[in-house]
Amino acid sequence: MIAVMSTPEPTAANPNTSFGFRTVTEDERQSLVNDVFSKVAERYDLMNDLMSGGLHRLWKSDFVAALNPPRADAAFRLLDVAGGTGDIAMRCLAAAGPNTSAVICDISPEMLEVGRRRVTDAGLADRITLVEGNAEELPFPDKSFDAYTISFGIRNVTHIDKALSEARRVLKTGGHFLCLEFSDVQVPILDRIYDFHSFEVIPRLGRLAAGDAQPYQYLVESIRKFPKQETFAAMIRAAGFSNVSYRNLTGGVAAIHSGWRI
Amino acid sequence: MTTSATDETATGPRIDPRLLEVLVCPVSKSALVYDAGRQELLSRKAGLAFPIRNGVPLLTVEAARSLTDAEIGKL
Repeated sequence: MIAVMSTPEPTAANPNTSFGFRTVTEDERQSLVNDVFSKVAERYDLMNDLMSGGLHRLWKSDFVAALNPPRADAAFRLLDVAGGTGDIAMRCLAAAGPNTSAVICDISPEMLEVGRRRVTDAGLADRITLVEGNAEELPFPDKSFDAYTISFGIRNVTHIDKALSEARRVLKTGGHFLCLEFSDVQVPILDRIYDFHSFEVIPRLGRLAAGDAQPYQYLVESIRKFPKQETFAAMIRAAGFSNVSYRNLTGGVAAIHSGWRI
Repeated sequence: MTTSATDETATGPRIDPRLLEVLVCPVSKSALVYDAGRQELLSRKAGLAFPIRNGVPLLTVEAARSLTDAEIGKL
């Protein structure tokens, strides 16, 4: 269980930020986020099914369709950030030609361990490599990937602007940035239902399925703190991406943001 | 953190050499040197050694140990 008994005084080097609806210092936030994912890793994909009523599978199909990896022999290198369990990378490879490869970069060792097992079991170890790394400080050279994906990951990053700037750095010219994230529900009535589901249902499901409601409480709160569609699109543009656009999924429960390095 | 070149790392899965070509130090963005014996990736510029566990490189500052002056001198 996440327990913050005392909050250290914020300083210039470690200013305040949010953890769900709580205010914590930046250093604390990263360790709290890591703690959440260490707890939910083994049942992460099952919980996503329960929480979204299976919708996350449809969203991810849309996401991979938006990525549109080459089906022919063309070489294509994908970097999937925060994709620890391997879900997006494996879906992408299933939709792509034989010379598509993926690197999964995640800050959570527990999520990566789940991914490592799945990638090996799927016989994809020669096409998918796993690296533990921070989205804000990527361990890859400039202009080394054709596409960068981040799926339900960016809202857990402490400095989103840094992560976006790193995303642009590692993309080749003409490279595609794609982000799938929970967003702001823009359909009347659906927003009320969604509120009830988020704050009443999800933490209870978390307790039942994963044995702990707290991590899911954080997930729900962090979704609400994340910038809305237009604001996030503006952040992507500010990081230097071109032709930035977004598409709502299920009335804005989630959204796919897209941008290009030109 | 201290890393020892024990049986555990020596018998673990070897890192794919192709992966080494596409990794840089997350701090300095400079090339890394592979120490197969200790299963570490060394960054001369940042003075850090990043561990490799079960074939997965851990390329965060939190996971790294500081290189000694002697170790940096050998790079």
